[in-house]
Amino acid sequence: MSKRQLAMVMDLNKCIGCQTCTVACKTQWTNRNGREYMYWNNVETYPGEGYPKKWMELGGGFDAAGDLKEGIVPNIEADYGVPWNFSNEELATFNFRENNPTAAFHADSTPTWGPNWDEDEGAGNFPSDNYFFYLPRMCNHCSNPGCLSACPRDAIFKRDEDGVVLVDLDRCQGYRYCIAGCPYKKIFFNSKLSKSEKCILCFPRIEQGLPPACAQQCVGRIRFIGFLDDEDSQVYKLVHKYKVALPLRSDYGTQPNVYYVPPTEAPAKFDAEGKIIEGSQRVPMKELETLFGKDVHGAIKTIKAEKDKRAKTGESELMDLLIAYHHEDMFRLDANYYQDVAKAKGTTNPLAPIDSRYAKGKFTKEINFKAHA
Amino acid sequence: MKNIIKSFIIAGLATAAYAKSPAPATAENLINAQRVSNINVANISPTDSIWRNAKSVAVIFYPQTTIKLNDAKANAANKDNKAIAAQVSAVYNNSAIAFKISWSDPTQSVQSGNASDVYPDGFAMQLPVSFNDPKKLPYIGMGSEGRPVLVHLTKATNMHYEPNGNGDVEHQVNPHNTNAFGADLANYKDKVNKLGKQGYSRAFISEGFRSMTQLKDGSDKFGMKMTYDAKSKRWTGVVAKQLRDGAADLSKFGALPVSFAVWDGSKYNRGGVKNLSTWLAVKLQGKAGGDALVKELTSKPKGDAKAGQAQVEAMCASCHTLSATKQAASPVMAPNLKNIGGYSTNAYLVESIKDPNAVVVPGYNRNAHKGFAWYNVDAKTVKRTSTMPPMMSDDKSINDAVAYLKTLKAEVAK
Repeated sequence: MSKRQLAMVMDLNKCIGCQTCTVACKTQWTNRNGREYMYWNNVETYPGEGYPKKWMELGGGFDAAGDLKEGIVPNIEADYGVPWNFSNEELATFNFRENNPTAAFHADSTPTWGPNWDEDEGAGNFPSDNYFFYLPRMCNHCSNPGCLSACPRDAIFKRDEDGVVLVDLDRCQGYRYCIAGCPYKKIFFNSKLSKSEKCILCFPRIEQGLPPACAQQCVGRIRFIGFLDDEDSQVYKLVHKYKVALPLRSDYGTQPNVYYVPPTEAPAKFDAEGKIIEGSQRVPMKELETLFGKDVHGAIKTIKAEKDKRAKTGESELMDLLIAYHHEDMFRLDANYYQDVAKAKGTTNPLAPIDSRYAKGKFTKEINFKAHA
Repeated sequence: MKNIIKSFIIAGLATAAYAKSPAPATAENLINAQRVSNINVANISPTDSIWRNAKSVAVIFYPQTTIKLNDAKANAANKDNKAIAAQVSAVYNNSAIAFKISWSDPTQSVQSGNASDVYPDGFAMQLPVSFNDPKKLPYIGMGSEGRPVLVHLTKATNMHYEPNGNGDVEHQVNPHNTNAFGADLANYKDKVNKLGKQGYSRAFISEGFRSMTQLKDGSDKFGMKMTYDAKSKRWTGVVAKQLRDGAADLSKFGALPVSFAVWDGSKYNRGGVKNLSTWLAVKLQGKAGGDALVKELTSKPKGDAKAGQAQVEAMCASCHTLSATKQAASPVMAPNLKNIGGYSTNAYLVESIKDPNAVVVPGYNRNAHKGFAWYNVDAKTVKRTSTMPPMMSDDKSINDAVAYLKTLKAEVAK
């Protein structure tokens, strides 16, 4: 357990599945250098197969006794999806007059699966009771990480100062037990480097007081970020004060630190004549319980009660928080905190992206380490 | 009786050969290193002339079953692994030592391309950084506290890259994210290729499983190569190391302990899921010293295995798995002893039964199996204390137990 923990809250009532977060992350971190197939942040349709395919059935996490469970390392073609390229190069020299132009522009592989392959499909029968919602997913920077626990090289570490879980690429030997160990399958194998890589919670931004790219770019303003012990942060209020933000699949035992405000706003079901069935719940509570546990009942009750209160009295701190009037208020990173950490360490970098346990180890006289670009 | 005759013959040979060059002794777990004139450490190859007169001996590599890792597919594929009989030969000169190992592997697995679940074949050689007492060698599973080992590893991989591209950020960009076409693009791709590394040979220093750390300061002077013969379906690996470099000084010894491990990529083998040998004695032919080590590593256990079995089953089996039929309550409760006889030395077993705290290796991440802590860590001194109590104290019981434990090993694959 780290001394402090950064956490993110995502309000699922407001996620429109636009993938701006996904693209913000992709262009910032994963569109190059062996990471092409990775989505450190993705938005999937729930219910659906998810990314990677059927990730909830691939094992990892802990059992009730606290023992790490076995898991599966997914396959790029079958489970993640191949990032294909188009034949731009061929187009430059293609003779359109003599040849059929449709043959010129094609993908370099025929994909059979990819993220969002089943986007917006959902479940149920249209229009009477079909339903789905968007589930944005990223590394949960768990307090009890499955990936860290699975690593036989101590290559994964959790920063004491903010609980960010990072891979020390100097130590990583590409064994991929971490992937089997993570129940969310949010750590990936980079075959070009032969190392595991994952969401770094945009630590170079965070240390400068900026929110992660996914949160900053979110057009629906669904993402809050702050320290869980900072009572003035909106994250604290949503998680601890109102208890309306809940961890995803906490039954995996990793104590995730990304919290979700469950979806409460869906139209009622229709009967055979297309009439509204008053009081019906289109998104089954059973599904929400699977994702967010039994506490989801209390969270939804609180949200509905506060919504009514707001309608009647015009006052509700919770509704004000969820409306997110000022984007900057959603992020409380306390930039001075990282400056103070740096000062205490006597460095200019607040936190080096390597595990200090081995950096000046007794084992190596000299480490040829360069800060990751 | 058999042993007495054998040692008599060996002694006889030694006397008879007094006038000629002495014929090397043979025993299980003994490799005789032939003296050669020149060893090209950095570019060692299986076709070098140094191997011409080197005699190979059979060495058995047992499946690692002490700990069970968390890859479901790997665990299923390696459930009933058998031991592998490899051929090992060795040569040395004043400044270096080299080994050639050859083992059967029906499938050649190379890690290449854009794949998340493909694993390479590979092999490794382990040497102690230093050793004084042949009874207190480093723990076979990558050393132990105060008894570090050097591990030299190579894997069958194609091109791979450094995470920071050796500082070259420009060429980490996807070709399709550049504005280059035609000759410019070819040029760009060429530069990217040049940043890649073809071989995957690494030296590590380690004081127990989880502590293994890559030596990146170039202090370990070594070379490795592995080649696959598709016809015989065998890998041949060679490894050479300077006896004296920045990482260790092994130049004064007449015999060295060495061990090997091999990985089978087709069975998802990697880090921990492998076959390994016990500590083997390498006698440097014509060099004085090392007799105590050779004797220690080639001697048979003294005790009565039958008596030992009754004791071990009564005292150890509730925590330790002994065989497929004698399973502990949980597979992660304590080190699995299914193959302990294959890769542990007699001395290690004696030492650990007498004093479980003598060798306590890091093992699993402390977070992985909180219900079954194999050791406790003193918050102040960071000293590890085994959760196993000392079980036996009299020498007879311990020797009997060791004799039994040495029988616990997988059979050799045909």
